Amino acid sequence: MSVGDILFWIVGLMTALCAVMVVVTQHIVRCAIWLLFTLAGTAGLFFLLGLDFLGATQLFVYVGGTLVLVIFGVMLTATGPFLQLRAGAGEWAIAIIVGLLLYGLIALSWLFADWSKLPESALPDDPRQMYHTEQLGRALLGDTSVQPASELAGVPGSLGAADKASGKLQEPPKRQASAFLLPFEIVSVHLLVVLIGAAYLARAKRKRVVVAPRESL
Amino acid sequence: MISPEQLVRVLRRDLLAFGPEVIIVLGIILILMVRMFRGSERVPFGGLAAVVLGLSLVVSWWQWVTDQTLEPTSSGLSETRYLFSYMLAYDAFTVYLRLFLTSFGLFMVALCLLSGVPDPDDSADFYVLLLGATLGMMLMASAAHLLMVYIAVEMASLPSYALAGFLKQRRDSSEAALKYVVYGGGASGLMLYGISMLAGKVGTGFLPDVAASVAATFGSQQFDAVTLISVLLLLAGIGFKLAAVPFHFWCPDVFAGASAEVAGFLSVASKGAAVALLGRVLVALLGGMRLEGHELAPPWWAQVSWYLGPALVFLSALTMTFGNLAAYAQTNLKRLLAYSTIAHAGYMMMGLCALTREGVEASLFYLAVYFFMNLGAFAVVAFLRNLVGSEDLSDYSGLVYRAPWLTVTMAIFLLSLVGIPPLAGYMAKFQIFAAVYHAWQAQQQTGLLVLLALGVLNTVLSLFYYVNVLKVMVLHEPKEIPASKPVSGLALVYTGFLSLVLVVGIFFWDPLASGSNKAVSSFYEISPRLTVSPR
Repeated sequence: MSVGDILFWIVGLMTALCAVMVVVTQHIVRCAIWLLFTLAGTAGLFFLLGLDFLGATQLFVYVGGTLVLVIFGVMLTATGPFLQLRAGAGEWAIAIIVGLLLYGLIALSWLFADWSKLPESALPDDPRQMYHTEQLGRALLGDTSVQPASELAGVPGSLGAADKASGKLQEPPKRQASAFLLPFEIVSVHLLVVLIGAAYLARAKRKRVVVAPRESL
Repeated sequence: MISPEQLVRVLRRDLLAFGPEVIIVLGIILILMVRMFRGSERVPFGGLAAVVLGLSLVVSWWQWVTDQTLEPTSSGLSETRYLFSYMLAYDAFTVYLRLFLTSFGLFMVALCLLSGVPDPDDSADFYVLLLGATLGMMLMASAAHLLMVYIAVEMASLPSYALAGFLKQRRDSSEAALKYVVYGGGASGLMLYGISMLAGKVGTGFLPDVAASVAATFGSQQFDAVTLISVLLLLAGIGFKLAAVPFHFWCPDVFAGASAEVAGFLSVASKGAAVALLGRVLVALLGGMRLEGHELAPPWWAQVSWYLGPALVFLSALTMTFGNLAAYAQTNLKRLLAYSTIAHAGYMMMGLCALTREGVEASLFYLAVYFFMNLGAFAVVAFLRNLVGSEDLSDYSGLVYRAPWLTVTMAIFLLSLVGIPPLAGYMAKFQIFAAVYHAWQAQQQTGLLVLLALGVLNTVLSLFYYVNVLKVMVLHEPKEIPASKPVSGLALVYTGFLSLVLVVGIFFWDPLASGSNKAVSSFYEISPRLTVSPR
């Protein structure tokens, strides 16, 4: 067993353990935190397999975005009966049956797939040939030579030769790769501001010492 | 392959030009950080926000004065630089709007500090939202890519929703916020729909590219419904931010429900950014943001103006007439001012209707004057609310005896909104009317002449309801109202300063005009004069 294999097993087992804890934990905030570790562990697995881009996306979208939203949602709305989750025996039974069925389906589809028929190009020998976070960073910064190139360009290409007399475009416009650093960064600022606004609107007004007599509404 | 050093160099250059926005972003984070520490309840967040906006204003001013690329050359054109790989445009237009928005933000913070609307507990949240909305509006003014147009509009809108509902204990404030969210969500959905269709059709989101493709579509023989509808949807989304009829439904309710300070912010800053965005999109669509190698035959661009011109004239005429007529029936001062701002959105659109560079220039000029008169009117409403405890017009009868100074300044603001000659509002209207008149001379479109006539008629019409407010305040019998805290001296200085600007503004006609002239120098002259009939 190589070091990579050992790491894979460690990270995989931790991820699986955290996933079990998500189900078993009864306190909803702890549940969300266990989910955080599960999703981060999945990202770790992607990184170990050399899939930088996928791992980074997993971190951005699930760990960074969705989960923060979930935790905030839970913390803002968790009051009274919803804080503790207790499942009855019947619910456990149904959950286990459905879970096992899903597991069986995924396992079957994995076992019966013919892995030898994958095209060569899809899995290059050297994982560094695939999309990388470095390329992702370069693309965000505006290096137009890197993949993945997108058709929706930020960089103007040639408009294509237009025939002025007839008014018809003779060849379609050519566009180059895009660079979306600014939208990416500015949206995070936007989400921060919106989160503050949402938190303000959701929380109860702090109690202040009322001097004047309260008017009845 | 571009080397990392090159990328870093380009990024650094772009970030320098992006400085004012970066300062506001840092300010937002700073306010957030400060709150983590003990004793942060005593931190004056209003002052902090003012410092952030002030720094941003200073940097914008520095760019405006020292940046040689923004100065028009002998050909009357100044440079446009595209930042962050063609996402934003950095040109004189952008910097002009940045100056407008940051200085308005400063006045806004001052107003909030004087009228005490966010109480100290909530002030941190309030100013973060205010800074966030200002940031979005600054991006609206500089967006050069459809993606940025959408993001900027959302960035300006979402904090505004929260600001509208900021007075949580008041029912109508929450109602206003909800209405704003629902209408706003619908409008931005429509706009996103239009943007995605347009970007999908054209294959890019970069505005000059989009414009060239749209012109090529309109200019060629085929009629293309997708392009037409998506452009209209895009304009509808901007029209919502502008509160132009028929996308104005939210405006009176939101203004009536939100505090007067927030209503003032929405009516000036939000509308200013929307005018800027509409101006830039229109100029781009008419070929004013050409790049090298984008030489299309002029009739193609003229064809676009043939489609857009009448629609704009119609909307502008409808907006100002409706706003002025609906204002008559109002008894709540904030609702009345809300309809008045709708009418003023119509006047500003009127400048854009000319479809010339001069028209855009006139709209920018109008914005600069509108800043002072509308903010002033809402500031007086805010101070009067603190004094009288009501925003109904009937409760303000005989106010001149209780608050003579506020009544006098209110008179100046309202008369300036009408456009009575010695006041600054007059020169703003004059610029607009002159631009439309010149456009009519050049293009000989009857629609423009009708629009001009309607504009003058509306100005006269609006006189009556503005003067009615003054009549109630001055001539009616004073009401018995329980005594309350008098208005602070600083508040009087504040309104006094705003009204002074309007009174002496006429002496600064030339510098202001040359400022707005410089702002549009980054655009090519657009020439819809080549009127061609549709084939």
